[in-house]
Amino acid sequence: MEERANELVMQMIKTIKALQMYGKSHPSYRSFFAPFFQKISEFLKEYSEFSLKVDRFTMAYADKVIYDEAEKDTSISFRLFRDGIRNITFYEGLTEEELMLFTETISQPAKEQDIALILWECDFAHITFFVVEEEEEPMSYVLPDTPPVDIDYDAFIRDILNREKIDINVNLNPILVYNELEELKQEIETEESRPQLPKAINILIDFLNTEKAQEIIDSLIGLLELCINNNDFYNARRIVHKLQTYPEIKPLERFENETTVTGFSRLCDPLDDKSFNEFVAFIGFFSQKTIPYFIRILTLVKRKERLESLMQRIAYMCQNDLAPVIDFLAGGNVYEVINAIGIAGIMKNRAVIKHLNALAVHPDARVRSALAQTYAELGELKKVAALTDDHDPDVRIKALQMLTLNQYTRIYPELLRRTRQKDFKLLDYTEQKEIFSCMVANGDKKLTRLLEKMLFKRKLFGAKAYRNMRRLAAMGLSQIGTEEAMKTLQAGLNKKNKDIKMACEMVVRG
Amino acid sequence: MTTAVNIQNSARELITLFYSLAKSMQVYDVNNDVVQNAAKKLSLHVTELFRTLPMAEIVLYRDYIFFNKQRLRYDVEGYVSLQFLEESMKRLRIKNLTFMPGIAVLELIRFAGIFKGSKNTFLKAYALEKLKSIAIDFMTTEDDLPEFFKDSERVKKTYFKALKVTKNLIQNLWSRQPIDSKGFRRVVYALVDNLSRDEFGLVSLTAIKNFDEYTFNHSLNVGILSLAVGQRTNLSKKGLVKLGTAGLLHDIGKVDIPKELLYKPSKPTPEEWETIKLHSAYGVKQIIKTRGLDEIGVSALIGAYQHHWNYDGTGYPGEPKTGRETSLIARIIRICDAYDAMTTPRPYQPIPYLPSIAIRVLWARHGFYFDPLLLKVFIQVLGMYPTGSCLELNTGETAIVIRQNFGYLDLPIIQVILDKNKERIKGSIVDLTTRTDIKIVTPVYAQKYGINPSTYFV
Repeated sequence: MEERANELVMQMIKTIKALQMYGKSHPSYRSFFAPFFQKISEFLKEYSEFSLKVDRFTMAYADKVIYDEAEKDTSISFRLFRDGIRNITFYEGLTEEELMLFTETISQPAKEQDIALILWECDFAHITFFVVEEEEEPMSYVLPDTPPVDIDYDAFIRDILNREKIDINVNLNPILVYNELEELKQEIETEESRPQLPKAINILIDFLNTEKAQEIIDSLIGLLELCINNNDFYNARRIVHKLQTYPEIKPLERFENETTVTGFSRLCDPLDDKSFNEFVAFIGFFSQKTIPYFIRILTLVKRKERLESLMQRIAYMCQNDLAPVIDFLAGGNVYEVINAIGIAGIMKNRAVIKHLNALAVHPDARVRSALAQTYAELGELKKVAALTDDHDPDVRIKALQMLTLNQYTRIYPELLRRTRQKDFKLLDYTEQKEIFSCMVANGDKKLTRLLEKMLFKRKLFGAKAYRNMRRLAAMGLSQIGTEEAMKTLQAGLNKKNKDIKMACEMVVRG
Repeated sequence: MTTAVNIQNSARELITLFYSLAKSMQVYDVNNDVVQNAAKKLSLHVTELFRTLPMAEIVLYRDYIFFNKQRLRYDVEGYVSLQFLEESMKRLRIKNLTFMPGIAVLELIRFAGIFKGSKNTFLKAYALEKLKSIAIDFMTTEDDLPEFFKDSERVKKTYFKALKVTKNLIQNLWSRQPIDSKGFRRVVYALVDNLSRDEFGLVSLTAIKNFDEYTFNHSLNVGILSLAVGQRTNLSKKGLVKLGTAGLLHDIGKVDIPKELLYKPSKPTPEEWETIKLHSAYGVKQIIKTRGLDEIGVSALIGAYQHHWNYDGTGYPGEPKTGRETSLIARIIRICDAYDAMTTPRPYQPIPYLPSIAIRVLWARHGFYFDPLLLKVFIQVLGMYPTGSCLELNTGETAIVIRQNFGYLDLPIIQVILDKNKERIKGSIVDLTTRTDIKIVTPVYAQKYGINPSTYFV
């Protein structure tokens, strides 16, 4: 039994040392902890309890010293002894969580920590410890005198009862009924699980409404860090917003570094929508010097809508200053260039155009696509139109989409010309559709008649190849949506020509 | 081995099931399904219990119920059944009640059936039933002696040490000296531990009122009373530490209020009141300085700031919230602070309210100033005649309340101190739950007879 106790203590010491050296997530610690838990569980199963007497530098089991370490800095017994712990007992039923918490607690290095208090707070169910209080002088106290007052006490009571309108003979019923007990129980559970930090923040902010106190400001800055670490951006934002009242205070200064901002990248996708929106609002308080860090983290964001939100926010943070964005336009990272182009578009600052022009010949099609969108946002539709001639279909499609969204009638004759060229049929159907959509968006009144002709055109030869043109014409008519266009489609439904009928059915009946 | 936690849970379950059976037998016939089912459930639980325990012994000792030598704590969930058991054991003069292995369903039903009525009818029925697996020890005259006097030294030691530490803390803050935060934290833990062992003993010490050291005594008293309310509401140990710390530190902002104003012998002017009212906000600064903003510090900060927020949304500072929007901790402290302030002599209030009148004043404002449910819990802790109350009895004698009786809010344990002729005597200690012939007529000021009530219960 003594031998097993000895072995157990040795395993405990090894586990604690491993934890101190490597930290709790390291495999070495786990490899020591697992056998420790197993051994102690087996011991407790057999003997019900495992009790250790703690002395200055030693620990003893059944009065036999099984641990001896005289070096104060490393001695575990000294650490326990110093704070008054004289005995530790483990009981059967000890859980892995309890033992892990115990090892973590006593391996904490902080010299200022009171280990007895920390263990007490853990409130273990299967570990008890005995703590001695520091030596004190024997208790002595003198009961305070009640000062004699020369009054009529009974009259004084009557006076109070009258003043308070109280009848001392009325029975009170302060018994809690079942529902009240349940209500109270529910409230306690809620209260214990609810974080108190927001309330403290409210108080500190309230306090600053009446007095500017450095302690409060410092505390709020301290809580700001806690909020950021807890992803509580709502309260972080409230703190920063309040501290903005004092221009000399820069609460975010210590967080405005690349490491912290890069750390945010891991939050952008997994945060829930509410927290993400709070995060986006929060970063709006960061100074312009952080913009490059934020642009960099955009490349790590996977969710498209979140990427767009962040770009909007960064554009706002730029406050019309293009400098940080322009730096990225000339960069080598394609994704950063694309994001910078996007932000430039949101900013709608036309001064960026000259920096964008060089990108029209960028080797990466995604860059040119982004450029099409940004040109459109900046009103540079001629430049967008030029991109409809790009050698990459994706760029052309993007440019067409932009011209569909932003009316540019000058493109219409060009598009019409393209539909009549032989190689139009060689284009991908998606691009063909985009051309027709763009024609509808930018065409004149004659377009309806033109599409009608296309739809009903008689083809003795090559009818099969012409099917797509009929479908595109029908789609165009449907997009025009006027009475005349819809009549044409209705008429098409009654045509004997199967291709015409099918093209019209597709758009009319879905 | 059966662990302490398991024993607590099993015991509570046993008592709850027994309570259900006894209650069902008051309403239904013995053959009714409700009774039969309740008995079966109890029997199953008892059988399960005996797999790990040799017997199930319930002992009424002082004001507490012990199960196999482990004290059962009252919590919100088991409150009613535990209260029922304690009341019944007191009424029937049962000291020990032991269930032994092999107990049958029928035996449980027969026992639950006689577990009502008076002591005499119970004694007769118990003798007739000849229950083999249920043993009972009845109280003797010796058991009537209030043994809590014997080992109250530890509780007193904790109280006075806490007082010393609180005093040092506040004085050091006043004089801008470093504070002993470790000592302060340990005191909170000691209070929590002692409270779980002897709630009435520790709470009774809050009746010590000190005119000269109002600030220190008041802080400690509010801390203890808050803890007692927290314990009754079944707050976790950590929750109690937060509450206790908040209670002890609730008025810490007063160190920033000029002393001459705090100790002014006359009633403060409206302008002076406005200055005094700043203590809640100043408390925030002091807590940050003394405690920091860890989890416990945050709770203390909330307590200090909100402890003058009323349940109806009035109060100060800032913009008080209504009802339960205010923190639970602050609502508990609000009640304890008001009670202790009312019952303590202060420079501008040399004669305080009598504790029993203060209770009624609080009650009159429940739902307005105070949370009604928490106020009920508070009154359960203190009773209608809190310890230290001086009472005129129907016998013509005068007595001091020296202890509360759990479950009997208006029937405390008293000690007669003046005879019919108002001559001082060292009278007997009387448990009013056992003496229906003795009635309380009215509460009076002990000072009327030149008596310091603390001398009787400290």
